[in-house]
Amino acid sequence: MSPGRTGYLFALPVALFLLAGFATPIGIVAWYSLMEPRTFALTAETTLTNYRAAFTEGYGPPFFWSITGAVATTLACALLAWPTAKMLHQLAGRGAAVLTGLIAVPIFVSESVRLFGMSLFLMPGGGILAGSLRALFDVNIGTVLNTKLGVFLGMVYVHFPFMLFPLLLGVALIPQDRRDAARDLGASRWQILREVELPLAMPGLIIGALLTFVLCVGANAEAAILGGQAISVVTRAIEQRFSYAQDWPMGAALTMLVVAVTALVVFPALARIDLNKLIRR
Amino acid sequence: MIAADLSMTQDSRPVLGQAALSLQGLSRSFGSLQALSSVSLDIEEGEFFTIVGPSGSGKTTLLRILAGLDQPTEGQLLLRGRDITRLAPNKRPTAMVFQSLALFDHRTVGENVGFALKMRGIAKAKRDARARELLELVRLGAEYFDKPVTQCSGGERQRVALARVLASEPEILFFDEPLSALDYRLRKTLEVELRALQKRTGRTFVYITHSLEEAMVMSDRIGIMRDGQLVQVGSPAEIYGRPDSRFVASFMGEVNILKVAEGRLPELDLPLPGTPDGYVVLRPEALRLEEGTETGAPGFAARVAEVFRLGSRVQLHLESPAGLMIAELPAETQIRPGATARVSFAPEAAHWVAE
Repeated sequence: MSPGRTGYLFALPVALFLLAGFATPIGIVAWYSLMEPRTFALTAETTLTNYRAAFTEGYGPPFFWSITGAVATTLACALLAWPTAKMLHQLAGRGAAVLTGLIAVPIFVSESVRLFGMSLFLMPGGGILAGSLRALFDVNIGTVLNTKLGVFLGMVYVHFPFMLFPLLLGVALIPQDRRDAARDLGASRWQILREVELPLAMPGLIIGALLTFVLCVGANAEAAILGGQAISVVTRAIEQRFSYAQDWPMGAALTMLVVAVTALVVFPALARIDLNKLIRR
Repeated sequence: MIAADLSMTQDSRPVLGQAALSLQGLSRSFGSLQALSSVSLDIEEGEFFTIVGPSGSGKTTLLRILAGLDQPTEGQLLLRGRDITRLAPNKRPTAMVFQSLALFDHRTVGENVGFALKMRGIAKAKRDARARELLELVRLGAEYFDKPVTQCSGGERQRVALARVLASEPEILFFDEPLSALDYRLRKTLEVELRALQKRTGRTFVYITHSLEEAMVMSDRIGIMRDGQLVQVGSPAEIYGRPDSRFVASFMGEVNILKVAEGRLPELDLPLPGTPDGYVVLRPEALRLEEGTETGAPGFAARVAEVFRLGSRVQLHLESPAGLMIAELPAETQIRPGATARVSFAPEAAHWVAE
């Protein structure tokens, strides 16, 4: 049997699983989005009413906040993860495993539990942050909980590992001699970062950014637990359509729009990188 | 007075009688490991200086300190009289060709060559033009300009690396065994070209290698390193003809080393009057052979163990009272393995070393 044929054969189980567990539901949702609002039939005439409503009936702000939040979180995570990844790479062995573990372990704890923990930290008055600041420095701050800042901090906290670990692989793709050569040829630290380190670590950076961005667009626990009424995100709107409002076609249309936005970001970015480079190294 | 004034300037122009690079007691230790111990040396303006040593002798450590990629734990480094010991590599007028070449694989040949100029903020049109000139200079040709580095062969990558360091117009170029990964013929070609380029540009080249043969072809002077120390510095002829230790002598290739005690060679039971205790080095070509074991002529008896025909000459492995010895004779010599011979040498061909 030719190697190409064997490859397809090996891919068959996962292909079947994706077809049944991923493609089919998306197909059903896509079809639902074309049905009349507040109906549950799948056999009626198709209509674009739901999509028209999505652009005219106040779903703009949730979309805006979801995407803005995702972009801001991705940027903040990248800025934080770059020096962390470089430090962990340089430590290699000495303590790096412990540090990596400390960053990874919280992933095993339920996200809601972590976010409730964070809400204790951010609570006004007797919260850990506000209380400590008042007791130690006699500084009074207002509340961070139930604000956009609170949501942003929660988003960065939850998604940081998803940026960090791919970036660690990316940073490992930069050979030390390339840095030395650039420095020897007159590059400053900043020029080395821009001309050598970033381009060479780009596969890791892109994967990390995609993971973070996609997860952030789909996140709603941060806004629900830390944001109070400060912010409404699109996932919350979708959830409400499906459950409380019992308007499945509208929820389906919003879902399809989120999928479209995500696809518009993911596919061009994936086309730019060679995944093999990241894995074979 | 004028000379004193000149040496006080910070200007990095050549000054008559002043070393291009002066190494003053450079030491480097990594924890308890002493990689370099007090290396002192003056490298002259426009000189091709090669540092030769086996792996682990500290030559790469030394070169990294010269380039500024590492700092000595003790000692000073002067560039034309100016202390640059702690100066960052990007502030030094020197450039290095790395053993791995360290080309930027995510860039084209032209972008690699123009890198140093880009770092200085020189406009694209100007640095592209310069990169094309340099590609011609290293015999690659301007048509390589847009080629991705990853599509270049080993020899082409060498030339790209060379053009890339030349673009920064360095006062001194460092080479960290850049030719070691190439096949023999290409290496020979590039050695000759590198030497020609050095003459043409008049720049100071500092080259490190573990191959003395490579050093002999290219260098004005050679420094031999061992265990972090510079054990002998001299012209290729001096190093070859007058090695000052057994280490340097054996590093140069196959030589015979015999012990001297009380004016004799005890291993061969031969007199060597007037020679102090120590060792003598005998080059293979200094040995003369006469087939048969007739006594009479001064010398010693040996049996021919192996015969290797090396084209221009014949190399013999001899079983002698001193153990294995190596002789080299003209190619037309007819001698077979198993033959016995009387071996002799002119006393003046024996080069004495203390240790």
